[in-house]
Parts: sequence; structure tokens; C-alpha cells
Amino acid sequence: MFWQLLISGLVIGSVYGLIALGYSLIYKASGLLTFAQGDLLTLGAFLGVTFFTVLKLPFVVSLVLAVGFGFAVGMLIEKFIIRRLLNKKVLIIYVVLSTIALSYIIQNGTMLAFGTKTKYFPAIFSISRIKLGSIYVQMESVVCILVSLACMLILHLFMSKTKLGTAMRAASMDRVAAEARGINVSLTTGLTWGLAAGFAALGGMLIGPVYGVYTTLGATIGKKASASAVSGGYGNMYGAIVGGLLLGIIETLVAGFLSSEYKDMISYIILLLFLFLRPTGIFNERALQD
Amino acid sequence: MKRTQKNLKRPLLALLAVLLLSVPLIFSGFPYAILICCFILLYVIAVSGLDIVFGYCGQISMGHAAFFAIGAYGSCLLHDYCGIPIMLTMVIAAVLAASVGAVIAYPASKLVFHFLSLATLSFGEIVYQIISHSPGGITNNFVGYYTESINFFGLTLDTYPRFYYYALGCAVLFLTAKQMLVNSQVGRAFIAIRENHHAADGMGVNVRKYKVIAFAVSAFYTAFAGAMYAHLVRYISPDTFMQKQSVMFLTMLLFGGTASLAGPICGVTVVMLLNELLRSAERYQMFIYGILLLAVIVLIPGGIYGTVEKAIKNVFRRKKEATKDAAG
Repeated sequence: MFWQLLISGLVIGSVYGLIALGYSLIYKASGLLTFAQGDLLTLGAFLGVTFFTVLKLPFVVSLVLAVGFGFAVGMLIEKFIIRRLLNKKVLIIYVVLSTIALSYIIQNGTMLAFGTKTKYFPAIFSISRIKLGSIYVQMESVVCILVSLACMLILHLFMSKTKLGTAMRAASMDRVAAEARGINVSLTTGLTWGLAAGFAALGGMLIGPVYGVYTTLGATIGKKASASAVSGGYGNMYGAIVGGLLLGIIETLVAGFLSSEYKDMISYIILLLFLFLRPTGIFNERALQD
Repeated sequence: MKRTQKNLKRPLLALLAVLLLSVPLIFSGFPYAILICCFILLYVIAVSGLDIVFGYCGQISMGHAAFFAIGAYGSCLLHDYCGIPIMLTMVIAAVLAASVGAVIAYPASKLVFHFLSLATLSFGEIVYQIISHSPGGITNNFVGYYTESINFFGLTLDTYPRFYYYALGCAVLFLTAKQMLVNSQVGRAFIAIRENHHAADGMGVNVRKYKVIAFAVSAFYTAFAGAMYAHLVRYISPDTFMQKQSVMFLTMLLFGGTASLAGPICGVTVVMLLNELLRSAERYQMFIYGILLLAVIVLIPGGIYGTVEKAIKNVFRRKKEATKDAAG
């Protein structure tokens, strides 16, 4: 029972981690909050399921296409909405509200385009489950955990080893200084939003085969993932991943052993506790208080 | 110039009062319109409450639906389980919400904008979870809760015109109180905190205390409106108090314009009318709503009232300059 719960906690936790990673990247690059991440996850999942079942593309190809599409949407959002608002020097609340509007548009747009029925991925792998020690684990769950961890590793290597990744980190640390060193800050900011949206779409592709795909799939995941971003230390990449995995495990264990009634409340309580008691999170990201 | 404006003000106000008082007569054959007017009035109270904390004190709240819920459920439950008359339970529920707001605001007052929005959002979600998975099922969870009309000193407010006059009275009362509050020393402290809380702190304003006050007063307004909602519709269910509702309050406020008396009124009226227009296209309602919201944010970020006010001021300034030029 415990190991079974731990695995499903890791599955949802890795998806929380992917979304929280997006929050942290965006916060670092633009100092903004976004509420559209969760619905980008829904969009990614719907696109993936369409590519896979209707166009009959192989799973890997549908995944790459969905992530690529998410990436493009993220960059477009930054270029045509966020940047325009920031250039107008509006209050930050309007930028945040615009991401909420976007989340409404995406959520209801997917509902109009794909219908209200839950869509399921047909069996993706020839082996449906594998034996790990004493328990059987769904192949989709294993893929979900492994792929998201691999992507996080790739992101880490990209950010720390490549020139573009270093430029992105520099731009998020000090915009003006980075610009003075010849870094194209508007490009790196756009890339960051694209990456965040791509990660959301990836999360959708990974969780879709496990949970099924429906229009409000991402909305809850997106809100809960903010708890993992905060508990890890908002703006810290590694904190987002650790926070996501921890949140997933805690949530699943509490639901399994104590009561599933308040399962949805746990993440919000964790979020409030961290904000009030330790706003810098586990990784002690720079103080976020006044 | 100023004198003519002042001379105009009084007849305009009188006209407005007559118009507001005669709404039930104008729409006498069309009760649905009166119901919409009732909704507009109670949302004006709720959004004015949000305006105190956001417009004047500069503190974001993405969880005002929680206070709305505490007001609505609090009033209904107190009436049914303790037998207190509704007129009183509405006030008690609002006081309860104000104390909850103060308790939340005390630790939250040190958070900056982004994290305050996350904190208030999760507070809203927690309250939503509590009312939809209530201990012992006292709120009837997702089934919803039926309640009664207000008994106003022997007169049951069970028709829309009766409720309309009651809501109008409440709205006038609450808006007057809001104007008095923001023009007082407390209101000046709010504005100081909004403009620069470090400077306010330096000038001897107790920042935390005033943030707590702002949240408590705001919660009182919104919760009272929630209680009005409950006893107007006589049925409440958790669906009404989702995060969507908090965003709706913020949208109404930002559509109208912040930190003014007329802003919330304009915003509520426009958004309510829009919602009614979109009701026929139910399937597309939220989709169109999202697009409109985005369009307003990108095109007129000052809100409708703010933009109109600016435009009028510009016209006046141009006229003034023209007369000056002519004189010179």
C-alpha cells in the first residue's frame, strides 16, 4: 500500500514539479506570476491526445509536437500580451489579471474545440505494467516520472552549461547589466516563457495517459503547483522540483492513510504555512517579504 | 468653471436619486430587470469592500469570494441553528468575516504583492473546500442550502421591489461609510501605505495595523453583500463561491476603476450587463468573457470610469487653454 501510494505521489509530484519549474523560471525572468500554466497543461494534453489518437502519430512524435506547440504559445503570449502590457507600464495586477484571462480563454477554448467529454489515451506501450519489488506499476506512471526527471536534468544542464542558458540566467539576475554585455534580453525573456509553457504541455502529455484528459485537468494542478513552487523557494529551479515531489507524496499519503475528504485542501494549507512561517522556502531563496 | 460644475451637481444628484428610487416602477412589468438591479446593488457593496483593500490600501486579494461565502453561509446557518433573526445574523456573519479577515491579514501583511495574491487565493480555496466538504454536512455540501427572505421589522422582503429598496438603502449606507472612512485619518494612512509603505512606516504609520484594518473592513463589506445574496436568492451552493467569483470581483473593480466612489458602481453595472448579454450564448460565455477581459486590459488599462474621467478632464483642459489663448 505504502509503495503504491508513493509511486502515485511521485507521478503527480513530478507534474507539479514541471509546472512549478515554469512558475520559477517566469518569476526569475520577468518578476511576474502567471495563472495560465495549468491551462497550458490542459492544452498540451488535448493536443497530444489528438495527435496520438486522431492523426495516429507515434507517442514520442505527438509528445514532441505538443511540447513544441506549447513552447510557441508561451513565446507568443510573452511577445503579444505580457511585453505589450509591461511596455505600457501598467500596474502589475493587470499583467496578472491578463494571465487569468488567458487561462479562461485556453480552458474554455479547449472545451469548445475538444468537447466536455474526458478523453483517454489508448494503451501506449506493449507492456502495460512492470513489477517493481513486490508491486506492479503502470508503465505510464514510470514513463511520467522518468521523463519529467530527465527533462529537469536537461534543463539543469542547459541552464548551467550552454551559452544561451547562461545568458538567460544573467538576464534574470540583472536586466540592464545583461543588456550592456550584449545579451538580447527580450529574446531570453521570450524563451523563458516558451520554456515554461513547454514544460506545462509536457506535464499534460505525461499526466494525460494516467488521469485521462478533460478541460479542468490543468486548473487544479496549476493552482496546487504554486504551493510546490512556494515551498521549494519561489524562483528556485531545484526548489520547484523538490517542492513538487514532496507535495505530491504528502498529498497522496495523507489522502491514502488519513482522509481523502480534505485531499484538495492540503496543498493550500502547506502554501499558507510556508508563506506565513518560511516564505523563503526549503532552499532559502532570497527573501520575498517587504 | 468650478461654480457651474457645482451648480450642476445638485440637480444631477437629485435626478439620480429619483431615477434610482423609481427603478421598480420603470421595470414594473419586468421583474427580472429588478432582480438584476438588486444584484448590481449588492455587488456594488462587495466590490466597494474590495476597493478599500485594493484601491486604497494597495493590497491584492484573490480570495474575496471566501468572505462572500462566510457572509452567506454564516448568516443562513446562524439563522437556522441559533434562531437569530436574519437582520441580526447578517451583521453577525459580517463581523465574523471581518475577524477572519483580520486573522488572515495579520501574518499576510508582511507579504509582497505576488505572494499576497497566492496567500489570499489559497485562503479562498480552503474556505471553498470547507463549505463543499463541511464537517457533519451542515452546509449540505454540493446539494446547496435553502434559506428564507429577510424580515425587515415585520415586513418580509420576498419580492424584488421590496428587496431593491432595502438593498438601495444598504448601498447608500455602505458607500457613505466608505467615503467617510477614506477621507478620514485611517483612509490617509491606507493611501500612504499604497503609495510607499516604507515612507509610511517612516512617518509613523503602523503599517501592519492599518493593513489588518483594511482587510477587516473589506471583509465586512463583502460578507454583508454575501448575506444579502443568500437571502435574495434564498439558495446558496458552493459553485457561487469558487475562485471565479473572486476574479469576477477584481474584474468589476478594475473595469470600473479603483480608488473612487463611482468606479465600483460603473464596473459592476458594466460587467453585470455584459454577463446578461452573454447569457444567451451560454456555451461561449466564459470564452467571450476571457477575451473581453483581455481586450480591456490590453486596450484601456485605466478602467472604464478612469478612462472616461481622463477624457473629460482632457476636454476641459483644452477648453480652458482655448479660453486662455483667446483672452491672452
